[in-house]
Amino acid sequence: MPLLERSDWYDIARSTNWTPRYVTDEELFPDTMTGAKGVPMAAWEVYDEPYKTSYPEYVRVQREKDAGAYSVKAALERSRIFENADPGWLSILKAHYGAIALGEYAAMSAEARMARFGRAPGMRNMATFGMLDENRHAQLQLYFPHSYCSRDRQFDWAHKAYHTNEWGAIAARHTFDDLFLARSATDIAVMLTFAFETGFTNMQFLGLAADAAETGDFTFASLISSIQTDESRHAQIGGPALQVLIGNGRKKEAQALVDVAIARAWRIFSLLTGSSMDYATPLAHRKQSFKEFMQEWIVGQFERTLIDLGLELPWYWESMIREFDYQHHAYQLGIWFWRPTVWWNPAAGMTPECRDWLEEKYPGWNDTFGKAWDVIIENLLAGKPERTVPETLPIVCNMSQLPICAIPGDGWNVKDYPLDFEGRTYHFNSEIDRWVFQQDPKRYRDHLTLVDRFLAGQIQPPDLTGALKYMGLAPGEIGDDAHKYAWVEAYRGRQTPKKAA
Amino acid sequence: MALFPIISNFQHDFVLLLVPVDTENTMDEVAAAAAHHSVGRRVAPRPGKVVRVRRQGAAQFFPRTARLHETDIKPMEALEFIFCDS
Repeated sequence: MPLLERSDWYDIARSTNWTPRYVTDEELFPDTMTGAKGVPMAAWEVYDEPYKTSYPEYVRVQREKDAGAYSVKAALERSRIFENADPGWLSILKAHYGAIALGEYAAMSAEARMARFGRAPGMRNMATFGMLDENRHAQLQLYFPHSYCSRDRQFDWAHKAYHTNEWGAIAARHTFDDLFLARSATDIAVMLTFAFETGFTNMQFLGLAADAAETGDFTFASLISSIQTDESRHAQIGGPALQVLIGNGRKKEAQALVDVAIARAWRIFSLLTGSSMDYATPLAHRKQSFKEFMQEWIVGQFERTLIDLGLELPWYWESMIREFDYQHHAYQLGIWFWRPTVWWNPAAGMTPECRDWLEEKYPGWNDTFGKAWDVIIENLLAGKPERTVPETLPIVCNMSQLPICAIPGDGWNVKDYPLDFEGRTYHFNSEIDRWVFQQDPKRYRDHLTLVDRFLAGQIQPPDLTGALKYMGLAPGEIGDDAHKYAWVEAYRGRQTPKKAA
Repeated sequence: MALFPIISNFQHDFVLLLVPVDTENTMDEVAAAAAHHSVGRRVAPRPGKVVRVRRQGAAQFFPRTARLHETDIKPMEALEFIFCDS
């Protein structure tokens, strides 16, 4: 039987808006859930998704993708990547799986909300596929690390992380709850698919796939590429939604959503990707610095996308670009120093050659972050490892849930950005984080950071042991230096870059 | 005597830290408590220098002998700890 071309029937088949007879339109599509911001149903019908697919096409393509990813995994079971890869690479895998896998399930719920409450039929159609995509991503990123669990318990955190109060898990949950789990369909389209996926994850996955191939982990490269092709499709849900909002006089509201989402995405991205690219990735495999990566993809490309859509650059754009020089270095120092509190073994990335590379990519690094690492190296050389682990908590930002940190050493610019609201003082990492809170204080006010919980007596005993217990970190899972401090030996017998007095 | 949490913003360190002190502590004792978590860990010691305490952004330091309860410092206020000659 001859079949019609998709283009002959697609538009009419997905014209699924209707006039309800038994309930009101507001009952069927409450504004709280749709986030349509008063833009009427008819105005959404011009929504035109740039990527169109039918269910049979989708299933056929996805089946091929799954078969590809799983068969590469099966074929390379004996490749011994686990035994042969640099420990820094394994740390990237553990951090990635723990931070992302269950976040994909959350994204599935978000896509489901668009599939049900999106006001545009095209959005609902695309989001139905997006929902299936995210389910696939969660399944893949739980199944792949599972095969390593018997050899390394830290891989169990692919599933465990989100069920704990480990600080990174709190930060990831807080960010993703804000960007897509606790948002309306339209807000999700803008914040998750446009800002987070187009702006950040799509590129993160491209970069990660390239790094994986460079490292020889073809299983992970194939997995990530498989996911990325889905992302690049369903990330396109947001663009046409923004066009509808802007075209109907809702630019201010759209801009606010974009600005909040980019601010929040940038924080979690600089923590995960920044430390991975500039420290955990073995030097020989680094293609470009995190700053170069951000300048190419975020400044060079995403900036153009924003402007082409008719949006403005976020008010904090220049401040954010200045942070490319230091924020992820500060997070890396924090991750490594508080290494017992993470589920992976942080790679210091601190050989003399690594430092030369950092100084080249970030002129002045030796006089700032290098000064702090000098003291750490002195202590390790002097046999005082106890001086390289924490005895207290860092102050955590009430927005990002990450430590409030910046440049140490000669460029010292660390600062608290406090805000008094309804009798409580909140602390922020920057003007940007504080601004996000001020956009909707009631949304954020009741959350307790890890430090707030400690002060409220929720962490017992009130010391590192109690904190590890609270975070769910068991022996065998607690992080330590990825290379078992072997890199320190390169400094023995030589003057460290700047000897601590 | 009462436990009193402050936020340490120690000169040359990279991160704000939670430091428990006591309302009876002098500013020198508060500075020593903050230094314990920064100096010799990520901040190189500076022999011959003393560490003075000031409110974030302030020009003036608190007197070294002032006790915490004699000041208007609030719990969980960010204090700067600065190396000085005296």
